[in-house]
Amino acid sequence: MPAAKTPPARPQATVMLSRVAHSLYWMSRYIERAENLSRLLDVNLQLLLDFQGFTDTSIEEHWESILLSSGDEELFAQHYQTPDSRSVTEFFAFDPRNPNSIRSCVNAARENARMIRDQISAEMWETINELYLYLHDRNSKEVWASGGAGEFFNNVKRSAHLFQGLTASTYSRNEGWEFIEFGKYIERADKTTRILDVKYHILLPTASDVGGAVDTAQWQAVLRSASALEAYRRFYVSEILPWKAAEFLIFSDSFPRSLHFCVAQVDEFLRRILGDTSARPRTEAGRTSRRLLADLQSLTITEVLQEHGLHEFLEDVQKSLDTIGGEMMETTMFYPAESSADVQQQQQQQ
Amino acid sequence: MHLRILHRTTFTYAGKATDSFNEVRLRPLNDQTQCCRDFALQITPVTTANDYDDLNGNTIHYFDVPAAHSKLIIEAVSTIDTVPLADRAPVPSVLAAELENSPEREMFAEFYTSSHYVPLEVDLWREAHDALVDGRGDVWGDVRRLGGHIYRTFAYKPKATGVNTRANDALKLRAGVCQDFAHVHLGLCRSLGIPARYVSGYFFNNTRRPREIEASHAWIEAYIHNHGWVAYDPTHDRPADDRYVKVAVGRDYADIRPVNGTYRGAPTRSLKVEVTVRETAAPVLVTP
Amino acid sequence: MSILSSNYESGNFFDEMFVSPTEVRPHYQRLAGRLGTLAVAEFDQRRAAVDLAFLRRGVTFTVYHDDAGTERIFPFDLIPRVIPNQEWTRIEAGLIQRITALNLFLDDIYHGQKCLKDKIVPPALVLGAKHFRREFMNCTVPQGIYVHICGTDLIRDGAGNYLVLEDNLRCPSGASYMIENRAAMRRAFPNLFASSGVRPVEGYANELLKALLHIAPQRSDKPNVVLLTPGVYNSAYFEHCFLARQMGIPIVEGRDLVVRESHVFMRTTAGLEPVDVIYRRIDDDFLDPLVFRPDSMLGVPGLVNAYRAGHVALANSIGTGIADDKVIYAYVPKLIKYYLGEDAILPNVNTYLPSEPLDRKYVLENIEQLVVKAANEAGGYGMLIGPAATKAECETFRGLVAANPRNYIAQDPINLSRSPTWIDGKLEGRHIDLRPYILYGEKITVTPGGLTRVALRKGSLVVNSSQGGGSKDTWVLQGDQ
Repeated sequence: MPAAKTPPARPQATVMLSRVAHSLYWMSRYIERAENLSRLLDVNLQLLLDFQGFTDTSIEEHWESILLSSGDEELFAQHYQTPDSRSVTEFFAFDPRNPNSIRSCVNAARENARMIRDQISAEMWETINELYLYLHDRNSKEVWASGGAGEFFNNVKRSAHLFQGLTASTYSRNEGWEFIEFGKYIERADKTTRILDVKYHILLPTASDVGGAVDTAQWQAVLRSASALEAYRRFYVSEILPWKAAEFLIFSDSFPRSLHFCVAQVDEFLRRILGDTSARPRTEAGRTSRRLLADLQSLTITEVLQEHGLHEFLEDVQKSLDTIGGEMMETTMFYPAESSADVQQQQQQQ
Repeated sequence: MHLRILHRTTFTYAGKATDSFNEVRLRPLNDQTQCCRDFALQITPVTTANDYDDLNGNTIHYFDVPAAHSKLIIEAVSTIDTVPLADRAPVPSVLAAELENSPEREMFAEFYTSSHYVPLEVDLWREAHDALVDGRGDVWGDVRRLGGHIYRTFAYKPKATGVNTRANDALKLRAGVCQDFAHVHLGLCRSLGIPARYVSGYFFNNTRRPREIEASHAWIEAYIHNHGWVAYDPTHDRPADDRYVKVAVGRDYADIRPVNGTYRGAPTRSLKVEVTVRETAAPVLVTP
Repeated sequence: MSILSSNYESGNFFDEMFVSPTEVRPHYQRLAGRLGTLAVAEFDQRRAAVDLAFLRRGVTFTVYHDDAGTERIFPFDLIPRVIPNQEWTRIEAGLIQRITALNLFLDDIYHGQKCLKDKIVPPALVLGAKHFRREFMNCTVPQGIYVHICGTDLIRDGAGNYLVLEDNLRCPSGASYMIENRAAMRRAFPNLFASSGVRPVEGYANELLKALLHIAPQRSDKPNVVLLTPGVYNSAYFEHCFLARQMGIPIVEGRDLVVRESHVFMRTTAGLEPVDVIYRRIDDDFLDPLVFRPDSMLGVPGLVNAYRAGHVALANSIGTGIADDKVIYAYVPKLIKYYLGEDAILPNVNTYLPSEPLDRKYVLENIEQLVVKAANEAGGYGMLIGPAATKAECETFRGLVAANPRNYIAQDPINLSRSPTWIDGKLEGRHIDLRPYILYGEKITVTPGGLTRVALRKGSLVVNSSQGGGSKDTWVLQGDQ
């Protein structure tokens, strides 16, 4: 007869299921994605409204550059004719066919949150649910009709910030938290590269355009898209010099949306997730993250602009981030069989 | 007869399969009509199989293949000695009434009530009564007549049905393969209250032409009071003799699936089954 | 005006609280004293506070139509149901006796089947039963225990006798409500508790965990116990999370588990973690696509073979459904006699079995006066209450029973006992039942109390949550008043 077993002393289960970790990761990424997208659209719509110096062509170019930087230009072309304020807003805000639209992102975030409902606080769930319902109840026609595009995007941003704030104040600092933060910063880094990339895709201006009103306005929009305009001005001077804006958004170690800052967080949380304290990281994800961080710690903006080219550099960063995210999932999944594959049966007739 | 049987099942997947969990019922039974001298199971990719016996006495081997693979080959080789009909105890004549009143019949309740593939619906009951329009005789005789009825009025058509076809559907089509013939035969017997069970196994076709396809076979066994289970093959309209090798018995196909499993991955690209049933030399008796 | 001053009608039923309109039963007197000082407005206030708390804490069950799930609170009535110690002692003994016999029955059915050979139960009833799991024949289970958690439904007849209505031995639910209801009562009436000598129910989760640890395979001294849930879309998901948290164990879905060489593991971020005991809230049918329903996405392929090999323990075991089959229910008193040599302490409701010719004749001829139930349905579905049904409904059931007699039972309608319940501003009698929870570990324990369910609709006898039922806290007193 075995001795009576006493229940273990732990008050809370200490293991983290792979599925739960990944749901937390994706919930966090999707919310960050929706938030970034709202800001990007808001700023650029505002730009076009405020600034009178745009011609029709340059407006189209402007929206095209945003599409190109998002990587979804082909998908857009399948469903829409010309990129303009309305079509692009529709595509990025509401279109269910776009898996990266704000509505799609919030849906996905909510589904992930629902799957791990027992892990998150009631307020976190209520906030995400309310945002979901808010988006559900709206379509772009209404938003435009009421002239409330700005208000709409503000509401989305605010909800996302509320969610992130609630998470910060109600989620215990355990392994789940590490996945949430890792997801948030990896997404943010990716989005910052795309915000910067917008300017690249605008056809290289002629000599007379450089430094001109349009050029300056566009760089201002880039900074605003990252909520970085005031921080930039405090750091540099009020003049917006393109290479300084790029430098700020790539290398600043204090501005929370800069690539350097985000990747430093990614690296830290990745180390915690993988439990890897060695000087030389043991995983592919760890190595890629360390390399990327080293670049961001040591390269100069001149090197980036002249030796690599801004666009190529940003593309490389995106690829590294992809690798880091993908490898992390593989390593913590315990084995990648969880995919779209369904369980099949095999039988035979006699 | 002394027979050697090879049964090879090959699954080829469109992409990769992982986490494959399988159960196979491929080991021939041992009873008064046959003895399985040797059995070997080989799986590719290589993996160990464990086994257990279910309540019908069937041996079930189970194994898993977790790693990615694009092909799964399950090969069973067995050597069996079967007892000729002439050497088996003769089947006594038992009247329907005797069977119904026999005390042990109740223990076989699962063999005369509805099962997944053989729901006892009124169509089967009607068919059974039509087939025995001249009235009931002794149980074994009735079983044979029901089998003969199916043999004469059904068409053997490989494409008419599928692995999920049930007895009442096959009855409507009046066509099918041996699995369907067996299910219908079970339906008719059970409608009359005769305990009957499904048999999965092989059949040695001594008139086989060189390239004729071989496959596993299905027939039935009926319970005769004070005697035991006796086998009949409705597909060929004859009692099962020593050319028949039993592998598993159960209520219907669902209980005896030769190869059954689940996996994650792309749908199967192809399923190939190879069966060979050959006569083999008699075992050498070692005299001390 | 106090809540007790309304004119309360006991009607023609056994009333839990009142012997007569002016006389309260001894074990209710302390409660009556307190309620007598409560004004209606104050009572309503406490009620509203409790409802709000339930909603906030998510003490809900989910009803699904389309994609959207509506979360409903299981309505809670603040008037508790009180049971004196001497009544409880008898109930407890009867439940322990019953689960002991049922466990022996299961062991017998899945091994030698002696009770069938001795014709205690007609073999056809067991062998042809939907929940008889032939795949599980001749398997050994840890400690010989098949039923670790049981919820047995009890009712009282017009004379106040306790009768067993049915056993629930597969995935009985409701224990979380029992605990939450008690917490709600404490918040609503803090002083009343301190002075009433009510036995606690909060130890349930601890007892449950002990019972689960008891069956762990011998491998480690820190067995890994998990709760297996079908997931967020299951209506009882709240309870699954609640119990897992109370016990401090992980809650997992089928896809979080994987079997490797007949051992079960959990997929964690740190690798595959062995699992020793699974408290499964998934029915047998969906447990393992390799052995049971192949289309089940909720289960774990290979789990049954791991169980068979003794590498993991399941609570409740596979195959317990045969013992809560409503037809087998009718034989339980015989089984108690057969296995224990004792008469049943808690009697059954008188039951007719249409599978028996004489009973069948009686049922078909008198169906309008009987309660008819399908053998394997739950939640009050597949049921006819003859005296309350239309002619057409009776005819339908007559046909169903005639076509498939083995799948039905019939019972004389019992005048279920009633308890004062707060309905629309006054106290009215409503029919109730009682579901105590029995845990079978190293010892058999019965949590003092359980879930009292109340049929909120006037005159209704149906207490299930999905059909207009609610619940009350159940107080088992240390003494007799």
